[in-house]
Amino acid sequence: MLDLSPVYDLLGRIMPCACMQARFMQQALLGLLLIAPMTAAMGVQVINFRMAFFADAISHSAFAGVALGLIFSVSPHWTMPLFGLLVGLSIMALRRHSTLSTDTVIGVVFAAVMAFGLAIISREASVARDLQRFLYGDILTIGDAGILNLAALFAAVMAFQAWGYNRLLYIGLNPVVAQAHGVRVAIYQFAFAGLTALVIMLSIWAVGVLLITALLIVPAAAARGFARSAGSMFWWAMLVSITAAIAGLLISAQAWARTATGPTVVLCAFVWFMASQISAAIRKRA
Amino acid sequence: MHSPETKNSPPSDSMMEGIAVAFDHVSVCIDGVSILEDVSASSPHGGCTAVIGPNGAGKTTLLMALLGHIPFAGRIRIGSREENMKSRIGYVPQRLQFDRGLPMTVCDFMVMGLQRRPLWLGTKRSNRIRARELLSAVRGEALEDRMLGVLSGGEMQRVMLALALAQEPLLLILDEPASGVDVQGGQLFCELLERLRREHGFTQLMVSHDLATVTHHATHVIMLNRRIVAEGPPREVLTPANLGAVFGMHMGLADAQALSDGQSACTCARCGGEVTHA
Repeated sequence: MLDLSPVYDLLGRIMPCACMQARFMQQALLGLLLIAPMTAAMGVQVINFRMAFFADAISHSAFAGVALGLIFSVSPHWTMPLFGLLVGLSIMALRRHSTLSTDTVIGVVFAAVMAFGLAIISREASVARDLQRFLYGDILTIGDAGILNLAALFAAVMAFQAWGYNRLLYIGLNPVVAQAHGVRVAIYQFAFAGLTALVIMLSIWAVGVLLITALLIVPAAAARGFARSAGSMFWWAMLVSITAAIAGLLISAQAWARTATGPTVVLCAFVWFMASQISAAIRKRA
Repeated sequence: MHSPETKNSPPSDSMMEGIAVAFDHVSVCIDGVSILEDVSASSPHGGCTAVIGPNGAGKTTLLMALLGHIPFAGRIRIGSREENMKSRIGYVPQRLQFDRGLPMTVCDFMVMGLQRRPLWLGTKRSNRIRARELLSAVRGEALEDRMLGVLSGGEMQRVMLALALAQEPLLLILDEPASGVDVQGGQLFCELLERLRREHGFTQLMVSHDLATVTHHATHVIMLNRRIVAEGPPREVLTPANLGAVFGMHMGLADAQALSDGQSACTCARCGGEVTHA
């Protein structure tokens, strides 16, 4: 496997504070530096497409993914992303073809996968004890394999964003117009749903089921408050997400805080969001 | 969703001569409810075809079928094979419901449709210039730096038209161009369309339930009420008998004999006979 230690050493040198000299902290930072830009970029479109509930449904299907791993004795590191991908694409297909409203479709799928996952997991005492790790996430235990997976997904997400950002905006404004003007709406929608599902599933290890949606929504929402153009919205989301990730990790490691990393990161992003609302209010008055 | 007889008589390429869009026995049925029944009609090349009918007549459904957005039985032909009209369609939707909180300038919006390079890597100068040209074609130069969310209904409609023009359309499809703006705005918009149609030579196909503002710009009228009621030049279609049958009362809109025969002038009462569109 690729030796990542030079990267970790570099991170340790860039951030010379005491807490960043431990290898697990350097790994956690690298993990977060891969996760934060992905959730920021996908989050911009999650908001444009009004798909926050979609993100919630995917993240909660993690339980079912773990349950499937138990049933077939496969590592949940495989079953979770695959099952999340399946749920994401299914919701998109239903949403495109069903006459039910989108939130009804998602709500039904959400309930089914959640119930299935909890039913299976509740039978296994050993996993049930581990449930907390899922709910809150634990970036501090991320290993090299996890980081390499994240890096591969990072490359795919950024390539997709560079290729499809304008088209996704187009579709978000009006899919019928986009389609009439030659945008291949279905391909972009499915690619978006699939990639979002994978981002969520791989990020759950870091911030947990309960907070992954926040990592998608909050930086993008804050970016809307700051940005004055569609291009800067992307960069604002990046800035908010990355700074919140770094600040959250550092704060959580301080002796006075000793908080879980995931929630701390989300809280930092929320501070950004409040600032964006204040800045938007001031601008409106001016 | 196939009716057998439609497959036997596909219009050949030669039958498309002079015709931009041909609806051939088109039927649409959604969840067991029949919305369009056996609609056969056509839109002449280079003209302005208005699809009119009361609410619930299936006008927008016909457009959605044309745009390939809903399944239908029958056949819809767009342009002849050579001109490839199908890949050069511009579409202006009925009053766009969109996310007004999206931080996006009108210039961003136009460039979004012009370049592949993501907006977060900047806009090409040539595309900004093109965006300005397109906006000025719809009298929207002043809107360039405005945020999309603060545009009025009429302004948004013109920006949507500019976005459609960026496709360099051979066929421009509009859904209710006069709705969501005041009467005068609708009138101006229709005049703008008429001028653009003459300059660019595209075929215009629009849906409307507002007879007064729109039909006097049309050179061809398709009267629809789930099935075809009448089709032809305005003078022949907009007869008191047809209007009465479809709209349930005499509209008292205009003297049918004074309406356009598909060639010449606007004679609508609102124009007072002063504006000629010939």
